[in-house]
Amino acid sequence: MSGRAERIGLLALPGLSFLAVIYALPLFMLLLKSFQIDGEFSVAEYVTFFGDDYNLSVLWRTLRVALLTTCLALIIAYPTAIIMARAKGIWLSIFLVAMVLPMSVGVIVKAFAWTILFRTRGVLNDTLMSLGSTDAPIRRLFTETALIIGAANVFLPFMVLPIYAVLRQMDSRLPEAAVSLGATPVFRFMNVTLPLSLPGVVAGCAFTFSLAISMYVIPSLIVGERQQTLSMLTGRSFLYLRNEALGATISSILLIIAISVVLGSSWLASRLGARQ
Amino acid sequence: MTGTDRLALAICWMIAIACVIFLMLPIVITLAASFTSSPVYTLPPPEWSLRWYQSLQKRSGLWDAVTLSLNLAVVSTVLSLILGTLAAIAVTRGSFQGREALATFTVSPLMMPGLVVGVALLQFFREIGLRDAYVSLLLGHIVITLPFVMRTLLASMAAFDFSLVDAARTLGLSYPRAIVQVLVPNLAPAYLTGGLFAFLASMDNYPISIFLTDARNKTLPIKMLQYLEEQPDPSLAAISSGLILLACIVLIIASRTVGLNRMVQG
Amino acid sequence: MTNPAMRDMGNSKHLDVLAVGKAFKGTPVMSDMDFRVGRGELVSLLGPSGCGKTTLLRIIAGLTPADTGEVMLDGRAITTVPAHRRNISVVFQSYALFPHLTVAENVAFGLRARGVDKAACGSKVSEALALVRMSDFADRPVAALSGGQQQRVAVARALIVDPVLLLLDEPFSALDRKLRETMQVELKTLLRARNMTAIFVTHDQDEAMGVSDRIAVMSAGKIEQFATPADLYARPSSAFVMGFVGLSTRLTGKVVAATAERITIKTAHGLVIAPGKFAKGTEVTIGVRPELIRTEPGENTLSVTLADAMVLGSKTQLHGRAEDPDRLLCELPGMRSSFAPGEIVTFGWSVADTLVYEAKT
Repeated sequence: MSGRAERIGLLALPGLSFLAVIYALPLFMLLLKSFQIDGEFSVAEYVTFFGDDYNLSVLWRTLRVALLTTCLALIIAYPTAIIMARAKGIWLSIFLVAMVLPMSVGVIVKAFAWTILFRTRGVLNDTLMSLGSTDAPIRRLFTETALIIGAANVFLPFMVLPIYAVLRQMDSRLPEAAVSLGATPVFRFMNVTLPLSLPGVVAGCAFTFSLAISMYVIPSLIVGERQQTLSMLTGRSFLYLRNEALGATISSILLIIAISVVLGSSWLASRLGARQ
Repeated sequence: MTGTDRLALAICWMIAIACVIFLMLPIVITLAASFTSSPVYTLPPPEWSLRWYQSLQKRSGLWDAVTLSLNLAVVSTVLSLILGTLAAIAVTRGSFQGREALATFTVSPLMMPGLVVGVALLQFFREIGLRDAYVSLLLGHIVITLPFVMRTLLASMAAFDFSLVDAARTLGLSYPRAIVQVLVPNLAPAYLTGGLFAFLASMDNYPISIFLTDARNKTLPIKMLQYLEEQPDPSLAAISSGLILLACIVLIIASRTVGLNRMVQG
Repeated sequence: MTNPAMRDMGNSKHLDVLAVGKAFKGTPVMSDMDFRVGRGELVSLLGPSGCGKTTLLRIIAGLTPADTGEVMLDGRAITTVPAHRRNISVVFQSYALFPHLTVAENVAFGLRARGVDKAACGSKVSEALALVRMSDFADRPVAALSGGQQQRVAVARALIVDPVLLLLDEPFSALDRKLRETMQVELKTLLRARNMTAIFVTHDQDEAMGVSDRIAVMSAGKIEQFATPADLYARPSSAFVMGFVGLSTRLTGKVVAATAERITIKTAHGLVIAPGKFAKGTEVTIGVRPELIRTEPGENTLSVTLADAMVLGSKTQLHGRAEDPDRLLCELPGMRSSFAPGEIVTFGWSVADTLVYEAKT
């Protein structure tokens, strides 16, 4: 019996070796390369990168945009998830379609749509343009705001669905127990609903944040060359500047951020899970 | 239900409705903009017309891009379903160390910046001398599709009663045949869901594909961004609308067979 | 320990449900429901699923609003008082312990909700845990507890806030039989010691008989009979109550003769005489408690073909062959192994022990 159980493990071999060779290995090599110059270990590229003010502003912008996008998505997503968890019948279907259809349509179509909105002759764009032509910082602000709104729009389902899933699974007797024990609505929310929804919130935020950090198509289309994010800088390094060393360095930084987010959120999730 | 409860719920409802509108906005805008008669984007369109859909016939390379994207999506999804089934069985039924880690590993590409994976693959393929763009793209797309498939398969298989397979084996089926004839049909919803999401993800992918294409092999997303730079007229909205239609068809199939709620919860 | 004679038995009102009605999506679940419980009484709502017992409980708790009628507590109407201000605690069927809190934190929840700060809770929580013998588990997560332990924590959590009324929705249904009996005794002792008024909801008549001073037998949104277990058993007011509480021999038949005080009924198994006044020709159901039947001729005598004889240790049950919905059941004390299926035996019992009800169409 144990022989067969071990042999079952072998079934994973095709998939595992594929991913190991075509996914993990290249990433590892990229990471390795970023710490090398001419075959020797060196952090020179990193030093150069962090020493450049422009690079730092890009890094800061990327983090800021990702953070604000996550916050905006969370503010919209949480109440939506609460309603969805209580919804039945036609309303539930409406909400589910509203989540799943945009997810299925893809980033390209949605980013395109936002550019249409901004390129179109219409009230929105005319207002923006008139404001923009008066004051450069405001124009920059609007551009970054546009990016945050567009990104939040694209990533919203990824924030809503994990929270929805957790809330839906929650024992409906728990808030009732709280009420019967004398909890006011606020106390009930803060001490029962909110803590129990945290695993979903953590998952949603982690996913949204990592998507927002690494987004490439959305800033390219909405913001363009004027304001770069880390991903765009990487793309430019490889495709236009032919500066592969810089590209590898930025890629590695993005990779390290992504891995940290994954590890951090799963640690947080297990801390929360241990209590439950 | 106290007054506070009612007020809080009312506010939540307003935000939820606003959220739904917000989410559907890009889709509605795209559809509306594609039916315009004017050569620039105007909302609302001054006149409704199909001219931009008709103009798609003249777009160079569009058809090739569509077929390439469909091809990559279907092939990579099918291969992922096969690899994914094997790996999911191994994780669910095996008893070796590090099963959890293996599961996390196979789903991890979803969390990695696509761009970084694209760059890494570009350099790697160059190192090993792989020059064929189609093969490179296919390999890259399997990396994209496999996590989607694994996610749903792992969840479904964990809930699957494997004694059904044992029962089939006592009735005369070999292990592989039992898997194919008992496990796969019973997990059909997971296959459908995982497969459909994988397919759509592959159709939509840009960051990995951009680094692996060459002049003759361009996927649809790449072609679209190229058009945007060269000739940004509303025919792009028409192409987008085509993709929206594709997504709608996929969703209708999924909701009829699996049900929307099942699909969302994996 | 409160003297049983001092218990209220519903004469002076503690809880009063007046003319309450409730409908879900247009279908009425109950209408004109009157229900009265006295201080310190332990009462059960007993009935099959769908009879409305849980709905009534939730209306009393304030978790479900009543469409019509009033709920009064100590003479004050609480119908419009929101649930969290009623000070009526509920122990749910699944216990509803908060999974993200430890045992002690769960128990302290009601106090914290009332604004008692953490430090002040400490001693009351220890007291409550000691009462249910869960002191060792104070800092454990609730997921690690067994069913019986969870139930005790749920009870401690409900009682620590000194509620005016305790409601329990099928609190023992998730426990296995042995544990159930132990917990019932424990809980009853606990509640009596505090003179706590409690209402249980259950579908298990043994459980209801075991814990209650009075039982309200419910069916289709109405209380058929609200009486002590003894009264329900010996003097059920309807065929439904007779069938739901305890076992019985029951036969359907038609009245063929009537005198001033007695009627003769023709059944599929013979003639039966019962006390009562029904007109000739009325369709009736008659019943007798099995332990009141002997295997020798009596005032009523029937000849019965045995379908089965079950030797159950302290008693032997003789099942006669009868067609649904008729039932022939006789219970003899002790172990009697001399009976075999197929044998013809005599069932005999007295007229006074015969219950009779008009058959409902």
